[in-house]
Amino acid sequence: MKELLAPLKTHNRSVLTLLLLAAFIWSLFSVTWSRDLVHAGGWTTTVQIFEGLIKPDLSPEIVALAIESSWVTVVYAVTGMTVALIIAFIFGILGSGVLFSSHAVRVIAMGIFRGILATIRAIHELVWALLFVAVIGLSPYAAVFALGIPYGGILGRILADMINDVPKEPIQALRAAGASRLQCLLYGYLPLVRANMISYTMYRFECSIRSSAIMSFVGLGGLGYQIQLSLSDLNYDEVWTFLFFLIAIVVLIDAWSNSLRKRLVL
Amino acid sequence: MHIVEINNLSKQFGRKIAISSLSFDIKKGETVALIGPSGAGKSTLLNILAGSIPPDTGIYLLDGKPIQQYKNRRELANKIGVIRQQFDLVPALPAIHNVLAGRLGEWGFFKSMLSLFVPQDKQAAANALQRVGLLDKMHDQTSRMSGGEQQRVAMARLLVQNPEVILADEPVASLDPARAEDILEMLTKLVAEEKQTLVMSLHSVEYAKKYFSRIVALRDGEIFFDLPTEDITKEHLTGLYSLKELSQE
Repeated sequence: MKELLAPLKTHNRSVLTLLLLAAFIWSLFSVTWSRDLVHAGGWTTTVQIFEGLIKPDLSPEIVALAIESSWVTVVYAVTGMTVALIIAFIFGILGSGVLFSSHAVRVIAMGIFRGILATIRAIHELVWALLFVAVIGLSPYAAVFALGIPYGGILGRILADMINDVPKEPIQALRAAGASRLQCLLYGYLPLVRANMISYTMYRFECSIRSSAIMSFVGLGGLGYQIQLSLSDLNYDEVWTFLFFLIAIVVLIDAWSNSLRKRLVL
Repeated sequence: MHIVEINNLSKQFGRKIAISSLSFDIKKGETVALIGPSGAGKSTLLNILAGSIPPDTGIYLLDGKPIQQYKNRRELANKIGVIRQQFDLVPALPAIHNVLAGRLGEWGFFKSMLSLFVPQDKQAAANALQRVGLLDKMHDQTSRMSGGEQQRVAMARLLVQNPEVILADEPVASLDPARAEDILEMLTKLVAEEKQTLVMSLHSVEYAKKYFSRIVALRDGEIFFDLPTEDITKEHLTGLYSLKELSQE
């Protein structure tokens, strides 16, 4: 039986590819290819968007507004990341289990704290934002917590994984020198993960700028809010001004994180 | 006075017998080289002596007291220090903190945290680094140091820890011959100055004869011979490293 199936097995993947391709082509027939499918004014809009790209609105009022909104966006992101780092530090270290000596306690603690981290990052920052806006209204706190909580979940999980993956020899040597588990954390685990953690945090900081901009769509102020307002007025030249500011922030943070990484050892 | 006394020590990993009924004593101030082919049980024996794995059967008295009774890590760290290959330092820390890690047994949590910002007992670290010839590299990142320098930092850490017995598990295995001799010479000299006891596993019989007063040879988890260095002959060594299984077939 096995010999009979063997040639089938080698062709398995190509057969599957053909089947999926056929299914895709077949699905195209179920689409009603009428004129309604495509936005009739699409071309005009495209031209308008491109015009905005070439000639963004650089009038003093709009630039001043863009600077102010950029500031709000960056402040939300920075404060949100601070909250995220605090959450990540506490739950990540506890979730790595390295502080617990008894095996049973370690397994339980890892389950609980990693579970908490998984829960808070399972909910997207936009959903958190809507929840917080519903609870505390359109206040900056809503933005900060909406960013900080899911990002804390992401950073905490990465920190826990990094701590679990450090080479075991330096830790054993510290234990042999009489270090307690907390001292091993200070002199072993944390220095060993520092470089990677900083570079990952910088990357997440960049993401949090984008999230912070998007989150202001719910009305929390910042670049995203301005983009949304300009979009609904069909002022694409203003949209591009705000987008350029957003791109500039991300590029600046990227440059900062690169210079930071270069100075880090390992 | 015996600092280490072991009697009928055995250890099995699954079905593999790593060590079977080993017995020997080590006097204070002795320098013992553990030699033998790979898989003879040298590392297992050193791990048991360090207290990091428990033996299955047998008695191990460290300074007259069963190892199991050393509940406190700090108490054990005063008796026994370990040095392995160069990978047991924290590369991301400056040398001084790797050296001061030898003090962690005595320090509380807050003192050790403070020391990362304002080094405590700096004088002790400086003395130790001076004795291994690395005083000028005190604030250098450990990862930027060569293998031989890293091993000297590990020795400085042992000097700061200042245990009565030093266990060394192939500390020169990843170094070139010149560096290896350099490290062995320095380590045996420091041990003599501090009147410590040294037990080191080695691959090189030549180094064992040059730097140690006594050689214990292990083969298949048993003692093949245990002699003062000057009594060892060529026959002893040929027997130790010959492939017994093959020659019997």
